[in-house]
Amino acid sequence: MSTSSTHLSAEADTPLQTILVVEDEVLIRLVVAEYLRECGYRVHEAVSAEEAILILQAPEVSVDIVFSDVEMPGDMDGFWLARWVRSNMPDTQVILTSGAERSADIAGTLCEAGPLMKKPYHTQEVVDRIKQLKATAKRF
Amino acid sequence: MSAASVTVLPRRTPPTILVVEGDIRIRYRVSDELRAWGFKVLEAGSAPEALTVLDAVPVDLLVLALDLPGAGGWDVVRHLRESPVPTKMIVTSGETDLPDNLGPFVRKPYQAAEIAALAAQSLNWQPPPQA
Repeated sequence: MSTSSTHLSAEADTPLQTILVVEDEVLIRLVVAEYLRECGYRVHEAVSAEEAILILQAPEVSVDIVFSDVEMPGDMDGFWLARWVRSNMPDTQVILTSGAERSADIAGTLCEAGPLMKKPYHTQEVVDRIKQLKATAKRF
Repeated sequence: MSAASVTVLPRRTPPTILVVEGDIRIRYRVSDELRAWGFKVLEAGSAPEALTVLDAVPVDLLVLALDLPGAGGWDVVRHLRESPVPTKMIVTSGETDLPDNLGPFVRKPYQAAEIAALAAQSLNWQPPPQA
């Protein structure tokens, strides 16, 4: 089974928009990415700006929106990634965020503008889910 | 009822798979393929990320790259062996000689569809028909 068949949304032949979520906190990343998938987007995940660039440079991947945390470990933070994208991929939109609440708000806005044009559930539930998982994961 | 007459029906709820792979170029391909097969897929780029997810979220199957930086892959194996909840595992690595008691092993480089087919078999999952 090839993934190429999943590149079209259910609505006619509209290409499915692809979002790259760049977030070093794994529980925030997985909840936000899952929410955006339920909104109808195709979503890739990157742990760092370095990983994000590897995905952006992959010839088979076309990213429409980079959704990145500002604060990331190492020399390359979200601002650095945004500058790189604007220099190298000016057609790609960059959205910078910080923290679970802000990320959930922005994800909600993307959902309303996305292929399904509605939120699968309230963004406060995204924040609550992240808090619940963080409380469960002893190592976080 | 004899064991021979038991029929195992395919699952209806998508199983959750955690893909643990340090190389993003492999991780996104495998994750994309598994999603195309209808699985719910979580991604971890390192052993600490994998352990955090395993502590927080129930996972049906792990696709684990043993060749994570450091001893990372083996840290995850130890965690699973100490866990009271058994979790199925597919192990991948560029190495050729690995213990044969870890579960199905796929040597790198591999096609993402190989992993998806093994996962479907292991989890008794019938992928949805292609759109």
